[in-house]
Amino acid sequence: MVTQSSATEAHTAENPLAEGLELRRRPEPCVLAIFGASGDLTRRKIFPALYALAFRKLLPEHFAVLGVARSPMSTEEFVASMEEAVREFGRDEFTNEAWDALARCTRYLATEVADEEGEDRVATTLSGLDEEFGTRGNRVYYLAVPPEAMPKLVEELGERRTTNGWTRLIVEKPFGHDLESARELNRLLAGTFTEDEVFRIDHYLGKDTVQNLLALRFANGIFEPVWNRQFIDHVQITVAESMGIGNRAAFYERAGAIRDVFQNHLLQLVALTGMEPPIDFTAEAVRNEKLKVLKALATPAPTEVVRGQYGPGSIEGRPVPGYREEPGVASLSETETFVAARLEIENWRWADTPFFVRIGKRLPRRETTIAVQFKRVPHPLFEDASELRPNVLIIHIQPNEGVSLAIGAKVPGEGMRVRTVHMDFLYGGAFRTGLPEAYERLILDAMLGDATLFTRADEIEEQWALVDAIVAAWRRDKPAFPNYAAGTWGPQAAQELVEWHR
Amino acid sequence: MAPVAHVEEWIDECATIAEIEAALVDLRYRHSHGGEPDLRTSVLTHLAWVPPEWQEAAAETLAGLGERHPSRTLLLFPQADEQDELAARVSLECYELPGIERHLCSEVIELRLHGARAEAPASIAVPLLLPDLPVFLRWRGRPDFGSPVFGQLADIVDRLVVDSAEWPDVPAAYRELVELFDRVAVSDIAWRRTLPWRRGLAHAWPELPDRLTGPPAETALVAGWLDSRAGIEVELERADTLPVGGDRKPSDLLSDELDVFVRDPVYESSVRKLAGRP
Repeated sequence: MVTQSSATEAHTAENPLAEGLELRRRPEPCVLAIFGASGDLTRRKIFPALYALAFRKLLPEHFAVLGVARSPMSTEEFVASMEEAVREFGRDEFTNEAWDALARCTRYLATEVADEEGEDRVATTLSGLDEEFGTRGNRVYYLAVPPEAMPKLVEELGERRTTNGWTRLIVEKPFGHDLESARELNRLLAGTFTEDEVFRIDHYLGKDTVQNLLALRFANGIFEPVWNRQFIDHVQITVAESMGIGNRAAFYERAGAIRDVFQNHLLQLVALTGMEPPIDFTAEAVRNEKLKVLKALATPAPTEVVRGQYGPGSIEGRPVPGYREEPGVASLSETETFVAARLEIENWRWADTPFFVRIGKRLPRRETTIAVQFKRVPHPLFEDASELRPNVLIIHIQPNEGVSLAIGAKVPGEGMRVRTVHMDFLYGGAFRTGLPEAYERLILDAMLGDATLFTRADEIEEQWALVDAIVAAWRRDKPAFPNYAAGTWGPQAAQELVEWHR
Repeated sequence: MAPVAHVEEWIDECATIAEIEAALVDLRYRHSHGGEPDLRTSVLTHLAWVPPEWQEAAAETLAGLGERHPSRTLLLFPQADEQDELAARVSLECYELPGIERHLCSEVIELRLHGARAEAPASIAVPLLLPDLPVFLRWRGRPDFGSPVFGQLADIVDRLVVDSAEWPDVPAAYRELVELFDRVAVSDIAWRRTLPWRRGLAHAWPELPDRLTGPPAETALVAGWLDSRAGIEVELERADTLPVGGDRKPSDLLSDELDVFVRDPVYESSVRKLAGRP
């Protein structure tokens, strides 16, 4: 396998001037073909990310973008719509120079994406772009299409893969809707593409602060020795959103919180928190260690999982409707908008150390945190020890990215009263450059062929196996929904999961 | 850049280290939000040796730097006079952070080293360095590499930042600079300035020009680089401006150097070539 460093060495051997000039992060010439280009993801995430890459001159020197979707539109209309999106959602100032560089190489093709005729048109257009932009037959296909269109699209792309360049597929979530459909999709992909050509995106892994979790664990000698059952009492992971479902009712009604967030983002955070140190920071080494954690996750008993659905309530003082009153949602919907669980990683490091996880919509605030609670001191030495909480290391993934540590400190004055105080490290305070959007990093990595921050087939299947087991237990009873008011931290039973442990 | 929320200041014409330290703590607590003081997040100590003729340029470069690199900045101004005093101005520049009430503060300590104090700057700087964080020394102008003052400061820092474009005697001065490489990591802003130029040449490889035109330090460094990397010798022609990338602000260039923590072997071999050392 050619690793990034050996590729750099090879580059240096060819060009003695390359060393130290950071030339290596510029990908080879390629076309990025976005299927489902008229969708919200392209507007909100993909094009703003491409603009950010263009702004920093990180796109390949020979590059083209082909937007493909059913919506009838000319290239000019597509480009105008993307310019509007970049102005609205881009993180950088809008400059004509950067935008023109991207717009000049952008094309749009209105066609069916998941049929033979449509794919023939795509293939012909891509060949034309190779000639026009010198992209040498290299392809990155970004599959942002509904799940039902995915199998046919993968099949058609496989049949038409180029022989004179490389091919990579970025596959958006949801990757299947259960273990069987995920396996089927993996089988289909494996039929025509090798695993290192498939980039299953979980945008959480592209977040700098998620990667900072690895830096925190493996670049600091003080944490790893205590990162185990001997010193840690339990871990709490929260992925909370204050938003409702927006206009995603059709998807959400089928998926629910467990497929939307728990199956992917949440379990990846569990894996990154619980994994052993990888031997290096290469795709295979990191993914091997994450997989071990996912395999070691025991199926929680039905009493250790709480599901919920929000009813009417208030967010930031404004009344909001309940889930069943959202447009497009069935009036007696049994779709969960909240899941909490007590997870156990059954291995030597974590035995008997629960991971309490919760995800949900319409919770009081948007927040993703990993709170590692250490064990209490064995003997209370000081007076009024009731005010002293155990040490908690909180990793703030979003917002206010950073790390805080709760420690005990003496209250000034007479006596020996100890209180809990927080030491805060704010990511944005120490490093005053804007954090890149996850999609920037991930799209660039896919162009470079670096799959470290993407999910491998076996990881996806382990994640689905756990979710299927939880959902199977849910089928046996009828939930009493709604069971939490919008703007609260979910059903009382979720709190009790943690309290029982205490 | 984030707006400056407030600047707190303490001045003493005859200060001690203890008073300066007390002033830093006091300034942090002057503003608080709900009982919580402003945040101090530091990634390094930035030490600068600024002879009088460089004072204005140094102030210009430092503007906004604290916001980009939260740090303690220690500016040492040697004063050639008869007094034997330490005059201090301690300030806290606090910036707003999006979504957070508390402000992020950078500390700037300006010290005027009068008389004999200017002969022993390390003894003044060492107690004020942030513990366990890298120390960068920006030396304005041409250092007297053999002087005790330079030696003292070079020995207490992790990285020396110079700008050889400020030196009147390049490339001859590089012969003295190479002697430092095994003692302290060296950054040269003139080298940083040539980065777009070198990138352009690397992209053009193997189609290279046989003549380089630009300011003396930068052209010398690029010539040394071509020679050390590819054994190519080129002619040099003097001009006031660089062919590419000469428009970056001094503070941006210094800011880039403050992100570098390791020795730069490519730079070192280029300078060695210029100095005629293996």
